[in-house]
Amino acid sequence: MRPDAPVLAFDTSAAHCAAALLRGGEILAERAEPMERGQAERLMPMLAGMLAGQGLAWRDLGLIAVGTGPGNFTGVRLAVAAARGLAMSLGVPAVGVTALEAAAYGLPRPVLAALDARRGEVFLQLFDGAESPPPALARDDALPSWAFSAGAVAGDAAPRLAPVLGAVALAQPVPLAVAIGRLAALAAGAGAPPGRPAPLYLRAADAAPRREAPPELLP
Amino acid sequence: MGKTLTFLGIESSCDDTAAAVVRHDDGRAAAILSSVVAGQSAVHAAFGGVVPELAARAHVEKLDRCAEAALGEAGLRLEDLDGVAVTAGPGLIGGLLAGVMFAKGLAAGAGLPLIGVNHLAGHALTPRLTDGIGFPYLILLVSGGHCQFLVVRGAERFTRLGGTIDDAPGEAFDKVARLLGLPQPGGPAVEAEAAAGDPARFALPRPLLDRPGCDLSFSGLKTAVLRARDEAAARDGGLRRQDRADLCAAFQAAVAEVLAGKARRALAAFLAERPAEPVFAVAGGVAANGAVRSALQAAAAAAGARFLAPPLPLCTDNAAMIAWAGIERFRLGHADDLALSARPRWPLDTAAPALVGGGRKGARA
Repeated sequence: MRPDAPVLAFDTSAAHCAAALLRGGEILAERAEPMERGQAERLMPMLAGMLAGQGLAWRDLGLIAVGTGPGNFTGVRLAVAAARGLAMSLGVPAVGVTALEAAAYGLPRPVLAALDARRGEVFLQLFDGAESPPPALARDDALPSWAFSAGAVAGDAAPRLAPVLGAVALAQPVPLAVAIGRLAALAAGAGAPPGRPAPLYLRAADAAPRREAPPELLP
Repeated sequence: MGKTLTFLGIESSCDDTAAAVVRHDDGRAAAILSSVVAGQSAVHAAFGGVVPELAARAHVEKLDRCAEAALGEAGLRLEDLDGVAVTAGPGLIGGLLAGVMFAKGLAAGAGLPLIGVNHLAGHALTPRLTDGIGFPYLILLVSGGHCQFLVVRGAERFTRLGGTIDDAPGEAFDKVARLLGLPQPGGPAVEAEAAAGDPARFALPRPLLDRPGCDLSFSGLKTAVLRARDEAAARDGGLRRQDRADLCAAFQAAVAEVLAGKARRALAAFLAERPAEPVFAVAGGVAANGAVRSALQAAAAAAGARFLAPPLPLCTDNAAMIAWAGIERFRLGHADDLALSARPRWPLDTAAPALVGGGRKGARA
């Protein structure tokens, strides 16, 4: 990717449409619109408007950065599907950044990223600079032992977990889409060809196996 | 005379991810340059049917790969296209949204028009893609998700004469297969088993055949198969192979007879309009069933209508029909913008009363 080419970052993994347009270290435009529904209709017109506001066209972009969750299943898929369509048509890479990575962005290590997963559960990931356990889904009242080691916690579940963990709750210094864009640019700059961005669900689909078995078959 | 149009079609409304390229010189036959379908039957095999969330998860992973494969097989690049057509409904919302968002990304990045297509219109317009027939014609959509008789008057003008008030026939075939321990998809499994069966041994109902009109029902038929199975199994301490074959034959015969009976009425209603060259077309996976197909063919012949069934890969879910329906809409001057919505409920004929899923959210299909 050209180092001066703009990066378009977006996320619909929760009740918002969030996007940022970055070039180098500079934030050209940034928007976060809260919404419970309607992200599918709003996302692309919002991105088009941000580009137009900077006098840019889609083909000027050098990198697509997309939030891959965990979060709302449908919301995560909206952004990832759009990102993969844009990557294919523009011939540029699309890089996925998880909501946990974004929550920990720019904060001193070690830090625990903790996101509300509803149903009394949280999505967790420990960032300590070394090898960390993979991201996990945990019940609020049954947190894994490694969650207690960081001493600092970030993300939207931080205020509720900090007292339980005996940790300091840290606020994310930059908007979500900006964090996603910067992390994606770092990953793309690191040289390894990025795979296609894919949703990070961390929670299985609600699907019940077949209930009733047919009667035994006789000859 | 319009110009040559080449469209990419994208389909993800149920459990098949599909992409296809169709080219059409106005006034000439359309050409399917590629048609890629990635199924998901393995994903859903352990469950009692298509699991919407699992289907959506699979679609988002396959859409770009299918589109790349379709372009590759057609030997084209995105800049060679004139538009991107995508199924925007009706169907499972998760899959529809994945397809619509992917198509928006493609269309925006490539600077191409975006056309949202009704999945049922794709099926209903397929006879024009394959055989170039003119309007109007009568079509029966008969698949795992749908069953309706439509008079197709234009690319966006449909009159529904009737349809199922509960299950679709393909759904009933799947459920009967499960009841009898046969593999999915149920259609081919039940048909193969029925070949060795006696359709007259078990008396199954012919739902709604005694009522006027073209509406159908298949839910009670499935329940009747369950009851007959349980009686036979209770008697013998298990289900005998011959019982299973006879049940399959009886079920298939009932479906074929009901569809043909209602088709005769639909044909009578259509022919009363005195179309110049009457055509009765059929689309959907259930049209692949030999017994159903010959019963419908006989109904068409008796009415003096030409019978037309597209080749099976174009009867079941595919994206060539979506590309084609997109071309038809585009020629009428329609295109959508980046705010295009996915519509899980989207009846073709909005004037006809709702058949299923009426209520607060409106008719499903």
